[in-house]
Amino acid sequence: MSTVEITVTVNGSSRTRRVPDRLLLADFLRHELRLTGTHVGCGHGVCGACTVLVDGATMRSCLMLAVQADGASITTVEGLAPPGGLHPVQQAFHELHALQCGFCTPGFLASTIELLRENPDPSETEIREALHGNICRCTGYVNIVKAVRRAAELMRAG
Amino acid sequence: MDGPAPAGPFGARLPRKEDPRLLRGEARFLDDIEVPPGTLHAVFLRSPHAHARILGIDASGVRDIPGALVLTAADLPQLPPLRPDLPLPGFAVTERPLLCRDLVRFVGDCVAIVLAEDAYAAEDAAELVAVDYEPLPAIVTLEQALAEGAGSVHREAPDNVLFRNQVTTEGFDAAFAAAPHVFRETFVGSRVATVSLEPRGCLARHDPGLDETVLWSSTQVPHLVRNMLCEVLGLADTAVRVIAPDVGGGFGVKASVYPEEILAIAAARLLGRPVKWAGDRQDDFLSSSHARDMRFGVEMAMDADGVLAAIRIDVLANAGAYGGIPFGSSIEAGGGPRTFPGPYRFRHYAFRTRAVATHTTPSGPYRGVAAPIAFMAFEGMMDRAAAALGLTREEIRRRNLLDTADFPFVNASGIRYDIASHHRTLTKALALSEWEDFVLRRDADPDKIRGIGIACVTEQTGQGSTRYRARGLLRIPGIEAARLKMEPSGRATLAVSQTTQGQGHLTTFAQMAAEHLGIPPAHITVLEGDTAVSPFGSGTFASRSVVAAGGAVITAAEVIAKKMKRIAGHLLEADEADIVLRDGRAEVVGTGLSVTIEEVARTAYAMRPKGVPPGESFGLDTTEYWDQPFSSVSAAVHVAEVSIEKATGRVKVERYSIVHDCGRVVNPMIVDGQVHGAVVQGLGPALMERLVHDEHGQLLTTTLLDYTLPTALDVPDIAMEHIETPALDTKGGVKGMAEGGTIGAIPVLLSAINDALRPHGAWIHAIPVRAEQLLRIIRTQPGTPEG
Repeated sequence: MSTVEITVTVNGSSRTRRVPDRLLLADFLRHELRLTGTHVGCGHGVCGACTVLVDGATMRSCLMLAVQADGASITTVEGLAPPGGLHPVQQAFHELHALQCGFCTPGFLASTIELLRENPDPSETEIREALHGNICRCTGYVNIVKAVRRAAELMRAG
Repeated sequence: MDGPAPAGPFGARLPRKEDPRLLRGEARFLDDIEVPPGTLHAVFLRSPHAHARILGIDASGVRDIPGALVLTAADLPQLPPLRPDLPLPGFAVTERPLLCRDLVRFVGDCVAIVLAEDAYAAEDAAELVAVDYEPLPAIVTLEQALAEGAGSVHREAPDNVLFRNQVTTEGFDAAFAAAPHVFRETFVGSRVATVSLEPRGCLARHDPGLDETVLWSSTQVPHLVRNMLCEVLGLADTAVRVIAPDVGGGFGVKASVYPEEILAIAAARLLGRPVKWAGDRQDDFLSSSHARDMRFGVEMAMDADGVLAAIRIDVLANAGAYGGIPFGSSIEAGGGPRTFPGPYRFRHYAFRTRAVATHTTPSGPYRGVAAPIAFMAFEGMMDRAAAALGLTREEIRRRNLLDTADFPFVNASGIRYDIASHHRTLTKALALSEWEDFVLRRDADPDKIRGIGIACVTEQTGQGSTRYRARGLLRIPGIEAARLKMEPSGRATLAVSQTTQGQGHLTTFAQMAAEHLGIPPAHITVLEGDTAVSPFGSGTFASRSVVAAGGAVITAAEVIAKKMKRIAGHLLEADEADIVLRDGRAEVVGTGLSVTIEEVARTAYAMRPKGVPPGESFGLDTTEYWDQPFSSVSAAVHVAEVSIEKATGRVKVERYSIVHDCGRVVNPMIVDGQVHGAVVQGLGPALMERLVHDEHGQLLTTTLLDYTLPTALDVPDIAMEHIETPALDTKGGVKGMAEGGTIGAIPVLLSAINDALRPHGAWIHAIPVRAEQLLRIIRTQPGTPEG
């Protein structure tokens, strides 16, 4: 098995590791760097739980190899807010009960942050379209949609 | 704690205590746990055949993978098979091997455990194990299993019936024969997977020095897992600890004890190394229980006014290859007729029900169990009867719904209803949904046809020991417990015999206890999911938590509150009956005299100059058990409006309204969230979800690309109102409520679709409703019947 040395900036810190070339980015983040907030729900790019921001854009970390992230800057759920704090999107999800088991939540947070950066005042339809690549089995999406609208308000005010 | 200040903690829309760590990625789900040094990673080698003889297993190829090894049944000869059903009337006693030795009975049956230094190497090694199978004919469907000469899945059940029951109430035949109208139809459910977003998994560790065996498992039932580990492996329960860490959704699929949990412990003990298995999505589709491959044949007899006279049903449930543990093979076949009577007043009831073995993945509990299909059948018949008798759908229901004067009511299947508000709920739901104005919306879009549907449903919740004994499920104690320990600071820990998978127990139970203790919910830390910490109980399933465990929580809080009042009375030289606990203080009513709760607690622990009252024991610490004597029945009315695009047959849920009565609501925000999620778990099976097997029993839907789940684009906003009729039969006036959303959604969506199709004369009686099916109906001449 061949290994490759990669350097990735994760949540602002530069990390250099020698990794197997077949190692998935999700496993690199979770098991090499112990950033276990990124979850794997399906392993084939449908459920969206493993979504992280790679150079600011949402990516399925279960469909990407760690070696493909060499040189990239990655933000995971652990890097959204300073320690002990909550990002406005996290705050809105808390206030409006937009999570239950919480397994899918890190992926929804990443997709929401990307959406609100591109569209600070999305309509309900735009929210549903932006989030339809993330599956939640607990909430029925009702409160997630409301939380995204609330997060947009918080971020516009903030 | 943030949020609006409520009058009291009970009933407050309190944001959840569990959220911050989940939002920050600090939670620890099974696969997030840092494994102990030396851990072996497991892959379960599963049968690729639905039915085959195992002629040989050659694991020599794994020598190419450093450190890899394989365990088969031959390596674990002392492992007895599971016996899911007990020798009771109606049950066939069959066996399930933990690892198959000679025969496999479904695609996914475990044949070997492949272990290696990491999960990638274990997958590689699994590819190198050669199993020689002789494929045998597979029984896949209910029809095949019940056909003459079908062969048998188990020799102990030659006719493939694992469980049967038949009941006819007294006077049924006469009432049925006398009725002027009889409506008949057969309703067919969709075989579905639960798809908790976190697949199952476990981590097993044995410490021979301490003689301690620990299993971390993504389960809803840690105590039941522990009990089975002891039963099967002959371990002492004092030496086994089961921990459910953060669990990424359950919905019933994790309420069973699975072979992988027992095998992981067996392997860890045999090899002297920790063993970890993190199942993937394919494992989950193949091996986690399937659900609701059911059919209900209904014969509904009515009098001339549309009043129910007698109902006969014939229920079949595809149980799969084996019964599960602890629910056995009767879970769906037993549950169907038990839940069927719903909110309606009828006495004459006859049913026959059978759980049928096939060479498919075992069936098990999933949100609502059989009830969504039972109500799809009942409510479907009510719609058909209304149309035939020229009544409106709401009127035929009004004529049959139980009314205030009927309560308490024991229904035809023996379930007691203490109190309910069915008529008010219906009236309110019709108003909330603007039912009367639907005629104005029906033809609003020339490219679509629209329909509106209604479903009146009940949900049996909070079952206690009596119900489980009556069902022959002796592995389920049915009781729950809470240990409440107030510390000297006046803060408390509350260890509950359950475990949470997103339901918000850490918040809800704190609110329930806080009401009695006079301290804020933020000062009560709820602990769950660890058999070494939590008192003994059954686990989280069947919408039991708020009733069964809540009963224990309230009882414990009452016991501690009484003791605090005795101590406070002693400190304040007042009668304990005059003490109230609120806002962190024990006050003598009307005097202004008070002490802090902390002062009371420190006194209880001998940390103050004045001691406890004479004869009083030290400490504020109690464990209380609760056995819910009667099931607690919640109710709801769902109204849904759908449109069907004429060009494509695509269904869109345009509007959705629910009025719901689950007694006193502890936290409305959490209750609403449970209902939202449950509705969408009904929307999926009604409109898109279906597990498909080929004729050889091969499961074709093993990824989320093949098995379609609802996304945010498929789901409407949901309007909801509550009526709070305090329950009479439970502590705190509460009722369970986590499944009713699913139970209502399937019948109401089918009702709405059938309403839209009315001009075409079609009645659909099976789910999921497919676009191509609708397109065919829409393009057919009006009036042509279609199934």
